[in-house]
Amino acid sequence: MTWYSGEGGAVRLAGTVRGFVDDVSQVRRAWHWDTPRPRTWPERGAVVPAPASDLGWARQEPVRSLRYLIQHALLIPFTEVMAHPKVEGREWVRELERPVIFAANHSSHADTSLILHALTDRARDRTVVAAAADYWFKRPMLGNLVSLFLNTFPFSRTGGAQAQLHSSSVLLKSGWNLVLFPEGSRSPDGRIQEFKPGVGHLANETGTPVVPVHIRGAYQIMPRGQKLPLPGPARVRIGMPMAPELKEGSREFTARVEKAVRALAAEPRQTGIQGTWIERWRAGKPREPKYQG
Amino acid sequence: MPRPGAVIEVDRNTPPVLFHFGEGMRLERLPLGSRIVYPPDPLDPIAHPERAIKRALAKPLEDDPLKSLLRSGMKLTIAFDDLSLPLPPMAAPDVRQLVMEEVIDMAAEAGVEDLHIIAALGLHRRMTEDEIRHIVGERIFSTFWPDRLYQHDGEDPENNVYIGKTSEGEDVTLHRRAAESDLVVYVNLTLVPMDGGHKSMATGLASYRGIRAHHNVKTLLASRSYMNPPDSALHHSCMRQGQLIEDTVRVFHIETTVNNHAFPAIANFMQKRETDWTAQDQAMFLGMKQMTDLAPPAFKRNIFHAMRAPYGLTSVHAGQVDAVHDKTLEAVRAQLSVRVEGQTDIVTIGVPYLGPYNVNAPMNPVLVVCMGIGYLFNFYRNKPVLRKGGVLILTHPCRYEFDAVQHPSYIDFYDEVLADTTDPLEIEKKYELRFAEDPWFRQLYRKSHAYHGAHPFYAWYWAAHGMEHAGDIIIVGGDRDVVHRLGFKCATTLDDAFEMAEQTVGRYPSVTHMRMPPILLADVEA
Repeated sequence: MTWYSGEGGAVRLAGTVRGFVDDVSQVRRAWHWDTPRPRTWPERGAVVPAPASDLGWARQEPVRSLRYLIQHALLIPFTEVMAHPKVEGREWVRELERPVIFAANHSSHADTSLILHALTDRARDRTVVAAAADYWFKRPMLGNLVSLFLNTFPFSRTGGAQAQLHSSSVLLKSGWNLVLFPEGSRSPDGRIQEFKPGVGHLANETGTPVVPVHIRGAYQIMPRGQKLPLPGPARVRIGMPMAPELKEGSREFTARVEKAVRALAAEPRQTGIQGTWIERWRAGKPREPKYQG
Repeated sequence: MPRPGAVIEVDRNTPPVLFHFGEGMRLERLPLGSRIVYPPDPLDPIAHPERAIKRALAKPLEDDPLKSLLRSGMKLTIAFDDLSLPLPPMAAPDVRQLVMEEVIDMAAEAGVEDLHIIAALGLHRRMTEDEIRHIVGERIFSTFWPDRLYQHDGEDPENNVYIGKTSEGEDVTLHRRAAESDLVVYVNLTLVPMDGGHKSMATGLASYRGIRAHHNVKTLLASRSYMNPPDSALHHSCMRQGQLIEDTVRVFHIETTVNNHAFPAIANFMQKRETDWTAQDQAMFLGMKQMTDLAPPAFKRNIFHAMRAPYGLTSVHAGQVDAVHDKTLEAVRAQLSVRVEGQTDIVTIGVPYLGPYNVNAPMNPVLVVCMGIGYLFNFYRNKPVLRKGGVLILTHPCRYEFDAVQHPSYIDFYDEVLADTTDPLEIEKKYELRFAEDPWFRQLYRKSHAYHGAHPFYAWYWAAHGMEHAGDIIIVGGDRDVVHRLGFKCATTLDDAFEMAEQTVGRYPSVTHMRMPPILLADVEA
């Protein structure tokens, strides 16, 4: 084929370039990204996030040490100044011998900081927080930053229960405590919503104890829809670890955890859930160093 | 082997001596021939405090082992001294925490379900949560606060019970929970000989009605001195009350003593004799002096009140109150006693930033009097270092500065009562009851963090013996108006004060400087 035949070479190249320019101009004219979405159009579909990584990097050194510094320099002092939280029942989590699931009520973004503030350094260092994949990990930069600060991992609320269960149980089995908010999302009015059965499933599948936690005051600090926190008092009440009984179904166990969290909200100390003083005293006994050889 | 206390005579080679000056300090040269009384060096602390505590509980003095007194189903109460001791507050862990943890371990082992812990405040202010946490430690605090660990309230009509009268007619009251318990374990920390013994329960868990029986001018004037219980009418009264309490409730007493290592490394030069100062101590002094001269009072206060003393446990005894207290007094005297020969015409004392009643607050003028004349002057046995009619010279800025939260009744006491009279007897007769029964002061004492309405009166009575004994009292560096309101004389410099003192004690007086803190107990011989 000669160059002047019109079927190849420079002419074909020019044709390709022209076709590309046409495509670009068509696309440019067809979608008006900078104009409002017409009312007549249907709602935009739910964003399905790309399968998130398990953010393993956030649970490795040197990120853990960096997080320790960030939390001690920023998160904990800030929480202390904003809420001066009163913590009851810290003895239940001071010397954890095996991983646990913290099941807390959820009314505010401040909940996570309050729970982490309530934990001892040792427990906090081994705790991951389940964060909604469709909220926190929609933007990868934000998700990674939050993981650096709070050691979060993506927890899907929109299906894939088995896969989720698997990734959470891997974390529990590898020695990480897990903070879960079984209500699924922040309460719109500060009241405790019904618990979703995931926490019961997870506890049943992995045989992990669940520590009921009730947070009071977080809703006043930063309710849903508010961009910036306001200072206010908060109380974190930690109950005695609960384990599923023999032949207790996930839903029944979840209902028991929900009842415990609701009971912790009540004013006087709840001996049945928080334990007698003797139980709490024994739980707080410092771990004795074991020497070998 | 730590050095005992010493009395040094000032000669040409003696370096200038440190005077505490509230939240500041001064170096002063004393006249040749003056004496400086230095406290003993800190005794070596017990190497394993936990073991010593376990041993004391297992082999108590004149009582059964604590373990044998505990049983399931009993009502057990632990009471402990508040933050007025030790001074400065002890670096964590506080010995009271160590003792209480052992007792609670035993109670848990015995299955004692009904256990309460009470801070024995008497008429002192309620502590903040952080202050309590510092004393009892995180583990006890998180297990018991707030329903089983709480503070005594001497004005609570429901929770104070009247026990009876002593042979001398003194009323005795006790916290209801303690009175109704099968066993009360009292955990005490004795810093000076005045503390501990029967006084712990008789004042710490009593109401105003019980405390006024001995906290009055007549009793305090008859106490020579408070630091020597056998010569103290105050302690005799407390013993009578304590015996009545022992007849009512079973008490197991635990007393601890600490050495006088009162200052952390940053202020080590305050701990040392000036003759021992190294170049580093001199540099630290200079740095701190510049800071205290230049910084605003609130800043200085924050720095000073944040200091924690590295005290070491020197003894722990448990068992029957009197048997325990005798041993405790021996241990305290072993740490504090300094032999001083003869009395003197002039005594100088630097008043520090901290006394028992101003932890985390400024030392107001009434507390300066309480600290300087009530406490520091009274650190003697046999007779005062100052001769009768001599001149007491104190150094303190003595500003009109009050903490409105902790000392509301002190403000009225200063403005209203001292404007009328400074005579303790007259003050007691005319004003005490009105302040004690003032509903607002009562409310602040019960619900806020304020000292009781009668407390400034006690602070003033505490100084009654010193004021009666001294011919003149001069405060160097004090605010002139404030010092005059207190009824004393004011001098700008120490030399001026000596000049003024000569008018009372004559030319060429003998001078003794009590280099405190760290505290000392002058054993004055004839």
